[in-house]
Amino acid sequence: MNQIEIDDLNKHYGAYHALRDINLKIPAGSFVALIGPSGCGKSTLLRTIAGLEKFTGGTLRIAGEVMNTRPPRERDVAMVFQSYALYPHMDVERNMTYSLRLKRRPREEILERAKSAANTLGLTALLSRKPRELSGGQRQRVAMGRAIVRNPKVFLFDEPLSNLDAELRVRMRGEIRRLHERLGATSVYVTHDQIEAMTMADYVVVLRAGRIEQQGAPLDLYDRPANRFVAGFIGSPSMNFLPARVAEDGRTAILGEADGQRIDLGREVEPGREILVGMRPEHLQIRPASDATGLQATVELLESTGSMTFMEARLAGAPITVSQAGRMAAARGEPVRLQIDPENLRLFDPATEAAI
Amino acid sequence: MKRYILLAVALVSVAVYLFPLYWMYVTALKSGTEIFQYPPTFWPPHPQWNFRQVFLQHSMASYLWNSLVIAVGVTAITVVIGTGAAYSLARIRNRWTSVALFTVLMLQVLPSSLMVTPLFVAFNQMGLLATPRLAVTLAQAAKVLTLYIVICRSTFLQVPRELEEAALVDGNSRIGAFFRIIVPLARNGILVTSVLIFLQSFGEFVYSRSLISEKSLQTATVGLSEFVGPQINDWNGIMTYSAIYITPILIVFVLLQRRIVSGLTAGALK
Ligand SMILES: Nc1ncnc2c1ncn2[C@@H]1O[C@H](COP(=O)(O)OP(=O)(O)OP(=O)(O)O)[C@@H](O)[C@H]1O
Ligand SMILES: [Mg+2]
Repeated sequence: MNQIEIDDLNKHYGAYHALRDINLKIPAGSFVALIGPSGCGKSTLLRTIAGLEKFTGGTLRIAGEVMNTRPPRERDVAMVFQSYALYPHMDVERNMTYSLRLKRRPREEILERAKSAANTLGLTALLSRKPRELSGGQRQRVAMGRAIVRNPKVFLFDEPLSNLDAELRVRMRGEIRRLHERLGATSVYVTHDQIEAMTMADYVVVLRAGRIEQQGAPLDLYDRPANRFVAGFIGSPSMNFLPARVAEDGRTAILGEADGQRIDLGREVEPGREILVGMRPEHLQIRPASDATGLQATVELLESTGSMTFMEARLAGAPITVSQAGRMAAARGEPVRLQIDPENLRLFDPATEAAI
Repeated sequence: MKRYILLAVALVSVAVYLFPLYWMYVTALKSGTEIFQYPPTFWPPHPQWNFRQVFLQHSMASYLWNSLVIAVGVTAITVVIGTGAAYSLARIRNRWTSVALFTVLMLQVLPSSLMVTPLFVAFNQMGLLATPRLAVTLAQAAKVLTLYIVICRSTFLQVPRELEEAALVDGNSRIGAFFRIIVPLARNGILVTSVLIFLQSFGEFVYSRSLISEKSLQTATVGLSEFVGPQINDWNGIMTYSAIYITPILIVFVLLQRRIVSGLTAGALK
């Protein structure tokens, strides 16, 4: 069953068209990530689901019921705000149980649920503190606690980890994911960090300028990007794009200038067509310049993180990034050969940017 | 070193401001001849405690009661109307908000003494002068409402919008979120502004003087002005009256000043 169903949703801020023809079905119990660059409308879409924003057209259903004009309190959704939005005049326990007290739940039940949430999140010792007496990570947990005590139909997260330091962020990623599995509720998670999206979500929705560019399982998006934008957005470092023209034989392409290097496309494309060849940095293999085959490139810069080496190089006049496990040595200006399995090439139309 | 200089400057300016207050209390305790004695005495050798006498003789109970009724009325009206107005002006952002704010501020420019004549005529025609204290309350409320709205609005602006949204998602109606989350967080601003409004209205003079003709309904400030006649000699009486009038206000202010310390919204975000 679909927990959330969005059909042809449109949203305008005055003359600004913030969400365009959004169609999205979110099955019950799934973890969906909304990603995209800043200002693409992720928060707007999430807030629309929560009922904090009205929209100008389309239908929104939660658990089968049309929610278009229902106020947030009738939607049974919980939201974790990017800024946490804890009530400063209430202690941790009252912050977490505020929604239950509003519903006039029995005292014992409220206490019980607060305790169990505090237990899950490691907040037991902090229950009587005010938000101002907590660290950033603890506040983040309280914000999560406020959502889980409610046991809602849907959890909405708006970049909940963006204010934490890198280490805590990685730990919380795992915790949120485990929490999701335990509670089994539907979660919609906004982030601009594609690693977060790829590692946490079952289903990823890529937005750009208010439009859904592609949606699907994380690895599908990685393997079969529908267009150049998604190809560049998913994966780190980003995919390299090289302009090329398909040769007469239809199976190879000429990179850069007319007399440039040839690359095997591994499939049939209409001869003479202008294309963009997409190559992921991790799919390129670095070979010595003495190799007989492979693309000829020149080293510009090497960066190493210890376990990985990133090489900036120049190929057919264009800058290109190559990543490789382990370490290597090469001098600036040194020639190398780069090899790539034709299977791993992604081709795009330079004008429409759609995948070929 | 710099700190001590600043401290000294602060102390001197406080002394300059507080001296009249001190002089009022001292004069209230002096006898008629001692007041004009040169060099002046800074503490009367034979203080006279004639507060009770002045209080009764000038029917101050009635004056102070009327002032209180008007001040409470003005504060109540202002808080009820002004809080809602301030909140809307803080939350809704468009061209009309600026226009409304500008208009509100423009009204503040008009002095009471200018407004009082048209108000008198209007109130007279509406028959409001039959209940002159109500008339003064309305006139004064209209005057101080602008100040209240402007100050309260800035308090509401400091309450993050997300808090209200969190309250809505948590199950509040808009009105519920306003009263349970927004107002408690803005309460310092609301309280301080209300006290200011109350004190201003307690000391209101122009409207009372002009709209209230009956002595039994008259306010304390107007009562004080009755001391001022062709020949002023009862300085002791004036100062005693003033001391009785001002002391409760001072006490209220001292009691509430700790509330003026802000920082209520700390910890809400990030
Ligand atoms: N209240 C508003 N009035 C007018 N325009 C708005 C309003 N809120 C958002 N927008 C616009 O809508 C677009 C989408 O905003 P949104 O907050 O959804 O972006 P986002 O994808 O969450 O970005 P970020 O990653 O920076 O949070 C932005 O271009 C923004 O300027
Ligand atoms: Mg956002």
